[in-house]
Amino acid sequence: MSAVFDQIRAMAADLFGVPAASIDTSSSPQTIENWDSIQHLNLVLAIEERFGVQLSPEEIEQMKSVGETVKLVESRLQAAPR
Amino acid sequence: MAIIIQPYRPEHEPAVQEFNRRLQAAGDPDLVFSHSSIPRWLAPGGTNSVWNEFFVAVEGSAVRGAYGLKQEMVFVGGRGMHRVACYHHPLSEGIIDRTYASVGALLARDALARQPLLYALGMGGSDRPIARMLKALGFSLTAIPFYFRVVHPRKFLLEMQALRNQHWRAILMNIAAATGTGWLAIKSAQAASGLRVRRPDFAAEEITEFSDWADVLWNRASTTVSMAAMRDANTLRLLYRPEVTSIKRIRVSRNGTAAGWAIVGLRRKDQKFGRMRVGSIVDCWASPEDMRAVVAAATGTLEKEGVDLIVSNQSHQSWTSAFENSGFLKGPSTFIFAASRKLTELLQPFEQNRMLFHITRADGDGLPANF
Repeated sequence: MSAVFDQIRAMAADLFGVPAASIDTSSSPQTIENWDSIQHLNLVLAIEERFGVQLSPEEIEQMKSVGETVKLVESRLQAAPR
Repeated sequence: MAIIIQPYRPEHEPAVQEFNRRLQAAGDPDLVFSHSSIPRWLAPGGTNSVWNEFFVAVEGSAVRGAYGLKQEMVFVGGRGMHRVACYHHPLSEGIIDRTYASVGALLARDALARQPLLYALGMGGSDRPIARMLKALGFSLTAIPFYFRVVHPRKFLLEMQALRNQHWRAILMNIAAATGTGWLAIKSAQAASGLRVRRPDFAAEEITEFSDWADVLWNRASTTVSMAAMRDANTLRLLYRPEVTSIKRIRVSRNGTAAGWAIVGLRRKDQKFGRMRVGSIVDCWASPEDMRAVVAAATGTLEKEGVDLIVSNQSHQSWTSAFENSGFLKGPSTFIFAASRKLTELLQPFEQNRMLFHITRADGDGLPANF
């Protein structure tokens, strides 16, 4: 797993109050009890702050699972000017 | 399929009705968005200074969320007039289906993108989901003080469900109501906190419409506030249309000259008030020296209507003093004002200025019935 996955997993574990080990790429609002609309927003804000990106409405809506969120952040980081 | 937020148009109405049906299945009758794409209250049009507009989050042919913006002009002390919007009635499919957990964030961010000077009001407390979401987005939250005056103590003690939620407390309140000790305690507390003003130079009358005299009052009293939504005659005629009979408009004059006004009405039936008739001092406006006369006139009008309890939310320190000095008691407030980051910047120093905000139940989306 990538460094981005590790960081997002740690954020999600902290926000949703679950052990990091229980989170994998398929984890989603359907599988994590505390992943509601408020925690979704908190995850968006945490990602924006940690990775220095501003997520568009379309990107926020794509974050349907941890795996899709990781893919989204990785693509944004690759596209960012170095 | 992507979710796109767009203005609510007539072609969305069937999908909004389906959205409402899905939310209602969750069991909360309040989870319902406007069936009509044209707001029944404050529809946009002409040169109106205040209007409502609705937005829907559309996924294919389905609606997954919706919200309203009440656009209005707000006076900020020392900084003039600004267009500000009230974010209201946000509803998300995420309430019933976690697949749509992102919709709440999309709605709030969309509203902020459309109007960075944004606020929300009410929300039922700072611990409620909408308030928590706005806090996460950097909004500043402050509770608008709640005041009440018991007109009929016996009925208050028997019916006030919010105070009777524990069995032992309900028994004590029954005893207090039966023996008259409760009546004595409430009347004493209200008397100790002040008596109503009865000055012969003040007079109150019910009016059907606001006219030029309200402009004079707006210009005069707005110098005493740090923030207030516009309340000139034109705006007041839009907010309190003459055909709306669920409220009374009270004009208070001193020696024949307009000194202030108040809007009063009977609140909708609410489980927490039992079978009590609850009157509300919905809105009011005056210079500080005339505020007690306005509170007295509003209170007197509601007492004549036979109410058991009178309630009001007031933020300005001169109004809170006027209510406290008119026999009103302060209670816990769940009426929350949340200002976006940009609005908070405009209202700096926020902590100091908030004592001079003029916010009542008439602000936000409370009118025309939910006050």
